Amino acid sequence: MAGMKRKSREGNKGKAAFKKKKNQSSSGGADGRRKRTGPRLPNAMLKELQLPKRYTDSDDDEIGSGDGDDVVVNNDLYEYEEGVAEEESKKNRRFDPVQNYQYELPDDFEDENVPSDEEDGDDDEDGQRGDDDEEEEEDDGRHSRLLQEITGLPTDAFDGKKKKNDVIISEAYSESEYNPSRDILDGDGRISIQDLLDPLHGKPDHGKLRKSMSRMEKKSMPIHAPLPKTDQERLERRAAYDVVQGDVTKWEPHVKRNREAPTIYFDEDKDVGFSTVGAIAAEFEPRSDFEKKIASLFNDHEVVEAHRKDGARLLELNKISVEDVRERQDQLAKMRILLFRHEMKAKRVKKIKSKVYHRLQKKDRLKQAGAAIETDPAAAKEQAMKQEFKRAEERLTLKHKNSSKWAKRILKRGLDVQDEGTRAAIAEQLNQHALLSRKANNMKESSSSEESSDEDDLDETSDGSDQDVAVKLLKKAKDKTAEVLEGDEELPASGVLSLPFMVRGMKRRKDAADEEAKLALEEYESSLKELEDKNKTKTQGTNILTGRRVFGAQKKQAPEPKTKVTSDNYYGDSDSEGETDAREIGIGACEENNFSGREVHFDPNSLREESEIAHDSLFKSFDDVARDPSSKTSYEVSISADDSWKKMNDSSVKRKQTKSSNAKSAISLQVTEPVEIDEDSDTDSGGEMVDGILTSGIKSTYEIPSQEELIRRAFAGDDVEDEFEREKQDALNEEVPEPEKPVLLPGWGQWTSIQKKRGPPSWMLQEHDNAEKKREEALKKRKDANLNHVIISEKRDKKAEKLLTQTLPYPYTSQEVFEQSMRMPIGPESNPATVVPALIRPEVVKRSGIIIKPIQFKEVNPHERARDNKRGGVQNKKGGKSRGKAKTVDQKS
Amino acid sequence: MRVKVISRSTDEFTRERSQDLQRVFRNFDPNLRPQEKAVEYVRALNAAKLEKIFARPFVGAMDGHIDAVSCMAKNPNHLKGIFSGSMDGDVRLWDLATRRTVRQFPGHQGAVRGLTVSTDGQILVSCGTDCTLRLWKVPVDTIMESDYGSDNSSQPLAVHVWKNAFWGVDHQWDGDLFATAGAQVDIWNHNRSQPVNSFEWGKDTVTSIRFNPGEPNLLATSASDRSISIYDLRLSTPARKVIMRTKTNSIAWNPMEPMNFTAANDDGSCYSYDVRKLNEAKCVHKDHVSSVMDIDYSPTGREFVTGSYDRSVRIFQYNGGHSREMYHTKRMQRVFCVKFSCDASYIISGSDDTNLRLWKAKASEQLGVILPREKKKHEYLEAVKNRYKHLSEIKRIIRHRHLPKPIYKATKQIREITDSERRKEERRKAHSAPGSIQNKPLRTRRIVKEVE
Repeated sequence: MAGMKRKSREGNKGKAAFKKKKNQSSSGGADGRRKRTGPRLPNAMLKELQLPKRYTDSDDDEIGSGDGDDVVVNNDLYEYEEGVAEEESKKNRRFDPVQNYQYELPDDFEDENVPSDEEDGDDDEDGQRGDDDEEEEEDDGRHSRLLQEITGLPTDAFDGKKKKNDVIISEAYSESEYNPSRDILDGDGRISIQDLLDPLHGKPDHGKLRKSMSRMEKKSMPIHAPLPKTDQERLERRAAYDVVQGDVTKWEPHVKRNREAPTIYFDEDKDVGFSTVGAIAAEFEPRSDFEKKIASLFNDHEVVEAHRKDGARLLELNKISVEDVRERQDQLAKMRILLFRHEMKAKRVKKIKSKVYHRLQKKDRLKQAGAAIETDPAAAKEQAMKQEFKRAEERLTLKHKNSSKWAKRILKRGLDVQDEGTRAAIAEQLNQHALLSRKANNMKESSSSEESSDEDDLDETSDGSDQDVAVKLLKKAKDKTAEVLEGDEELPASGVLSLPFMVRGMKRRKDAADEEAKLALEEYESSLKELEDKNKTKTQGTNILTGRRVFGAQKKQAPEPKTKVTSDNYYGDSDSEGETDAREIGIGACEENNFSGREVHFDPNSLREESEIAHDSLFKSFDDVARDPSSKTSYEVSISADDSWKKMNDSSVKRKQTKSSNAKSAISLQVTEPVEIDEDSDTDSGGEMVDGILTSGIKSTYEIPSQEELIRRAFAGDDVEDEFEREKQDALNEEVPEPEKPVLLPGWGQWTSIQKKRGPPSWMLQEHDNAEKKREEALKKRKDANLNHVIISEKRDKKAEKLLTQTLPYPYTSQEVFEQSMRMPIGPESNPATVVPALIRPEVVKRSGIIIKPIQFKEVNPHERARDNKRGGVQNKKGGKSRGKAKTVDQKS
Repeated sequence: MRVKVISRSTDEFTRERSQDLQRVFRNFDPNLRPQEKAVEYVRALNAAKLEKIFARPFVGAMDGHIDAVSCMAKNPNHLKGIFSGSMDGDVRLWDLATRRTVRQFPGHQGAVRGLTVSTDGQILVSCGTDCTLRLWKVPVDTIMESDYGSDNSSQPLAVHVWKNAFWGVDHQWDGDLFATAGAQVDIWNHNRSQPVNSFEWGKDTVTSIRFNPGEPNLLATSASDRSISIYDLRLSTPARKVIMRTKTNSIAWNPMEPMNFTAANDDGSCYSYDVRKLNEAKCVHKDHVSSVMDIDYSPTGREFVTGSYDRSVRIFQYNGGHSREMYHTKRMQRVFCVKFSCDASYIISGSDDTNLRLWKAKASEQLGVILPREKKKHEYLEAVKNRYKHLSEIKRIIRHRHLPKPIYKATKQIREITDSERRKEERRKAHSAPGSIQNKPLRTRRIVKEVE
């Protein structure tokens, strides 16, 4: 045994030496050396074939194998002969300095019998071995025959192999990074495809092979080395974990539903009324027509009879004509084909990558949809709904109003810094927002368009003096009515409207409208005349009356437009609706001027001239207005005046008040309020305007009151401090009540007049004094004794304390919700019997003795779930039954 | 003159039977009953007190093993039977109703470490430190009920000898695979003598294993390297591992929430994890004063039971930080295994004193048939108690427990230790640069790392 081991070890050594030797010998030509690592035959086969050994014995180059797996050239005879010599030669070397390291050859090494490279090369080219002796040839012949028999391939396929056989290399260890193969150690010892191809030269399919090889070489791509195993495993685990996460996530809706449910049920109803399907079926009674029809078929005597035997007779009953069947088949085939074509088309279209194509497609689709909207009311409605939803969403989310992170960032950095594209994108977003949030106007577009044109006109007119506004408006109205009067509508020549009775009806209506228009026209004219007269007198009057102020009034003409413009901008930004309202009021006022000519005096100029202090004058003017008999109209005018002067922004409030103001007192009250509001809200924007006005000419008369003054005036009426003190006193009296005065019950101790004089007994008085003192002390001890502006209540009900909690219990997050949940008792005494079970139902309903199975997956429809939750219904995961529990939820939350 | 009289129809007031209740008409106006809340509070208080009085959780002990009970298995298909394995290699089937051994399964030479039953309740798998895995046929109930005296022991269907000792076994829900823990995780089939699959991640011994009942291909193990690992059978590779400061003794999946599992840790706490977020525990359940040996979820998924080395059994809410119930007896020693019964009304614990003990899951629950009125009354009291449980007096009564002296002392000691640690931490924080000391939340404090 020991000998064997040693031998093998030496064999290794020898093999290594042999490697080196080969390297040396092959240093001349690389080709020859490569051949040696070609395909090898299995060990056993070689043995059987008794391949000739080509190496002679020498001390150092014996070929053997440590591992049985590697190819060995084993010849018992040789081994035996050599064994002795080797043992002798190596016996003492175990502890000697090693002379022949693995890759060094001894100097005196001599290669005897190994064929030279040239020879090998020759062999390859010739395909036969010239220098072998006959015996070897014979062996080879046998070998190839054997191979032929085994594999069934022609003999010459193995010719190449045969050569490899005689230069077999055995390696002690399998190749690894610690035991690199000889080729790697050499550096440039790779086998190329060419080498492998060469032996096949001249074989039938060689050309084809070579061609494909060259093709492959052209397209060759480097293949990366695989990752280290640890990394690979980690990646695998990560992937696995991802899958696990995904898998588990699908349970989320189930779990959420269960957790949120006020009750989950595990008591499957075991005792359902019917135990079998048959029992249920027996109870069935046909009710609907369909059911009755089916039942009649079922109970058909003939069918039952046919069914009874073996069902074969049913076929006889089932008579269908050949035509019917064929027709049906044809129809089915047609449908199938259509479906298939449609599918194919869809597939083809889907594959098209052209963006242009898809854009065109989209356009087409949109066009079609648009057409559908025009023709089909249902589609239009749907479209409108969609649009409305989008708008609502936009208004809700303000998604496009630069609220996104990106937009905010862009705006923060400044729009000027951005490039064209970004600016365009921002603009586009804003545009989108405007489009989506505008909405409401679109609904009544037709009506509002006229209004807007009116507004435009008004804007134009407002550039001029305020006086002209009314005149211009009236003129315009007149023009319009005249237009309406003159402009005869063309009667439609065709369609429904051309029918005689329709024509008649329209004419009648038109006549009525014309009548009305004429009346209006007359009114306009008369009022216009009046107005012009008034204007004349008024301008004269102002010129005459106010000597100094003429200057101001005249000068004012220039700056006023400017202030106007700025204020217009301001309101255009903030609240266009309010503005239009104010304008409308103005218009209304102008239109109604003909009823009371007096109000025209309340134009801004006159107001300003009258006033010393702005709001005081206003009050006055409003009071005047209130005193006026035609209160409504005059009030409106005054407000319009106020509008033009102070630009109130709360006009909606005022309008409401104009509507409701009828009684005098009510008016005066209501009027003061909005002005105050104005005062507060307009401080920032109105300041400028006041300045502007001041510069325009009232400098001498007007002074801005100081802030304190303003505040003092604003809160002139209410006495908060006193009120608070009273409140505090009340609270104190309630919590620490004053002792009762000593009073004797009537009749008690009133025997004589003397006693009466004495009053209540001293002990009573003393008691009262003590109580007073006690109270004083108690008041002093209070936490709010020295805090004048604070009431700290020390009222505490000890009895009720145990019913109250200091902190909010766990699942609740808001006090209101908690209090609401605790408000009503849940017992049967205070609730109807129908709701009590729902109120007191436990969280988990189970019954002992029923096995509870783990959760099972079922597709959950999220919408249904939402509805269920709202209803409070709980679906049992097992039974899948749901019970309405609306009451529980309602009551508890 | 017309006289109005109160008229009542006799139908409404006549009882059909003499046992029927008299019908009462009530005015539910809350203004008429201003004291209703106070009344309910008193009822809640009384209910809490009554619950204490009626708390008799211990049903009975099952004596028979001659060594410590190391593991148990419940039959998913049969309520009455429970299997137990002991340290001397004895495997028994018990009848919970009569509390007697029905069948013995002899054969193991060393301690039985794992027991499990297939979902259909047909096959029992046992494994132990003698490196053998044994499959047994579970006797049907007819035999169980009638003659347990005659044929008391059975032969295994199969015995597989494997190269390492087993530490645990668990059966897949609704499948024919089961997994064993040992030097590695092996997946077995009923019909094969070799594992169909093996997982190995690290060289440490896997000490416990549990299949996810909701997601049958998911598997969690705990190993002696203080780790909890997740495996997926379909991908034939481990998925994730989380390493904690102390060893996890046992794992239980929530049967109603397949993403959640709870790990019974050696530090006396249980940690509920979400499989998807292993870097922090979702909930830490503290109360045991010694290492938690075993854990099992109630089939309702709302609570779980733990057995601890401190000789106590506790019941926790699935989301509660502290136990709602604590069971102990004078004679019960270290608890090695606990199980919730399949109908969620009983708890079985196996301990070092060779006994199995049967407990009620709700200590004061009334056993036996309960009439509807009675049931309604119970429900009402329970609801009222639940409603006012935040009030101090009721809370105090509900929470109060008489603890065995060692546990009481240990609790106190632990509280002192944690308090002083907290104080120290606070001081350290106060005296160092702001932000330099991060306070780690309790949920991640015991987690060392998550390994991919």
